[in-house]
Amino acid sequence: MATATLPKLGFKPSPYLVGAGALFLVALLYTIYLKVTLGHHGFNTTNYGVFWGLPIVAYDYFLLTSTGLTLIASLPLTLGLRQFDPIAKRCIWLALAALVGGVSILFLELAHPIRALWAAPLNFQTASPLFWKILCVGAYTIVLVLMGLAFARGTAPADIPRGLAVLATLLALAITLIAGSVYGMIVFRPFWYGGELPVAFLIEAFMGAVVFLVFFTYLIHGFSPTMVPERTRTLFAGSLGALAAGAVFLHVLFVVARTVAGLWSYGEGLQVWQYTVDQPLYWAALIGGGLVPLVIFAVPALRAQPWLQILGSLLVAAGLLASRYEFVINGQLLPPFKGSWAAAPLEYVPSQLEWMLLIVGVLLANTIYAALESWSSTKEA
Amino acid sequence: MTKWGMVIDLDKCTGCQACTTACAMENSRLPGESWQDVLFYHEGTYPNVKLSWLPRPCMQCENPSCVAVCPTKATWKTEDGVVLVDWDKCIGCKYCMIACPYGVRFYMDEKPVVQPDVREVFPGDGDRIWNPPYKMPDHLEDRKKGIGIQPAGVVSKCTFCYHKISKAPKGVADLDEDNPETREYTPACVRVCPPKARYFGDLDNPDSKVNQLIADKRGVRLKEETGNKPQVYYLSGGGAPVVPGERSQRRG
Repeated sequence: MATATLPKLGFKPSPYLVGAGALFLVALLYTIYLKVTLGHHGFNTTNYGVFWGLPIVAYDYFLLTSTGLTLIASLPLTLGLRQFDPIAKRCIWLALAALVGGVSILFLELAHPIRALWAAPLNFQTASPLFWKILCVGAYTIVLVLMGLAFARGTAPADIPRGLAVLATLLALAITLIAGSVYGMIVFRPFWYGGELPVAFLIEAFMGAVVFLVFFTYLIHGFSPTMVPERTRTLFAGSLGALAAGAVFLHVLFVVARTVAGLWSYGEGLQVWQYTVDQPLYWAALIGGGLVPLVIFAVPALRAQPWLQILGSLLVAAGLLASRYEFVINGQLLPPFKGSWAAAPLEYVPSQLEWMLLIVGVLLANTIYAALESWSSTKEA
Repeated sequence: MTKWGMVIDLDKCTGCQACTTACAMENSRLPGESWQDVLFYHEGTYPNVKLSWLPRPCMQCENPSCVAVCPTKATWKTEDGVVLVDWDKCIGCKYCMIACPYGVRFYMDEKPVVQPDVREVFPGDGDRIWNPPYKMPDHLEDRKKGIGIQPAGVVSKCTFCYHKISKAPKGVADLDEDNPETREYTPACVRVCPPKARYFGDLDNPDSKVNQLIADKRGVRLKEETGNKPQVYYLSGGGAPVVPGERSQRRG
């Protein structure tokens, strides 16, 4: 391992870190206040059918973004794509930040998160996707920290142990595919059911990862494109931009194909597709978060423009969250059994506490990312 | 080995909900936590309207998806075929509720469905989520089997009155309220049913009444397509589906 020129680790808090950290603390205190005073009544989930609300949406969103970032970070080592070297370290920082942000949301939502840490690994319910997901996320966290430490010591991407990168890739892949299976295996929920879901989750993990990387690279450079190193900009305008276009295209294709099949079918439970396409959120996510950024990233002249890259990234990130929300929530709006007599889909609107959990997760992820950037000089000098 | 099962005769059921009430009293359930519910359906438009109903306990499936998905094995199945929840292992992830095709699981930390919130009127002592004046005797409660009043943050469900049926004499074919020897071991919903629309017995015993009814009256199970294999059978006279499926006819 080449360690000839180890950079000196230092910690210089940036205004970004101070701002994100301060906001995180305020948001966390308010969320704890809501949790203590309202308890679980502060959630808008019910026993009628919507069991998983916005926090689960946000948790999956961050977790899959994290796995996508790890997959991209490992590309230089696993597939020999050396052009991704300049962004590998930032991908790992962002993956760690997104992972912690997502898991923190889950821990704030779960009734017994500490119990989950021992009860899941020790009871070996191998038939449950969640058992494997918990195991894999645990191992993934360790591997990610090891990769992060290696990068922090100044190890070049090429010198990261290949076994570590391969392990990270396998775990990231497993988590992503299992996350899709959690929904895709429920045969009596036709809005979710399908073997293609894990693959769709993988595509969306890549999609989220690329746009997070683009946005946060510009953010850490003060949104000043000239501060971004030439190699990174070339990557964004070239293969990474093309990867974004490909992922967005496949995501749009997946959404449209599912919509057509859902609207056409007569099956019980698929009526929710009509409800889905009647919602403005669906069209906003599809057009604003899919088709518009697809054009931006697919046309070389457009994706070469830094501001359009930032705009496209923001649109995709927001559209992906909206899509994930629709997927998770709408899949529960027609309860499988009560659906035959319920006059209309159930109603669900996230509560203040549920929104706060999302905000806490976002701010925590930003704080961690900013701290990691401040801790070791990630900026491509 | 005993495999407890239930038969519900829809031709006899009057929808009176005595079963729902008896279950709530026997098991100290909260409002909205109807382990044994009666679902009502109406089809058609006035004046051609049909009202029907379906009593719905937990199906105590032979191949339960809720057991398969539980990441901590908090949901488990006894040797005599009853699906129970270990409240000391449940983490409140609600995946079992997502994976239950019959909607018979409850997470009672949600907002109250009626006011006043009885959890505030009868605040819980110790680990109990509430402390109603009519709760079952303490010695019958069993957290490992989800019997009694649950702590906060766990999922609850019908136990087939496991605190009763598990004490039934070994080898008995049926638990019948009309039989003095088995009355005390009969589930509350079966025992109180005024038209005697419910039967409870051993599905593995060829001489049991439940097996005879299933065979003679062509008992059916709900949502067979899921592969869960419920141990609750319905007798519907064979003339109509047990549950109306009007949604599938929306474009008809």
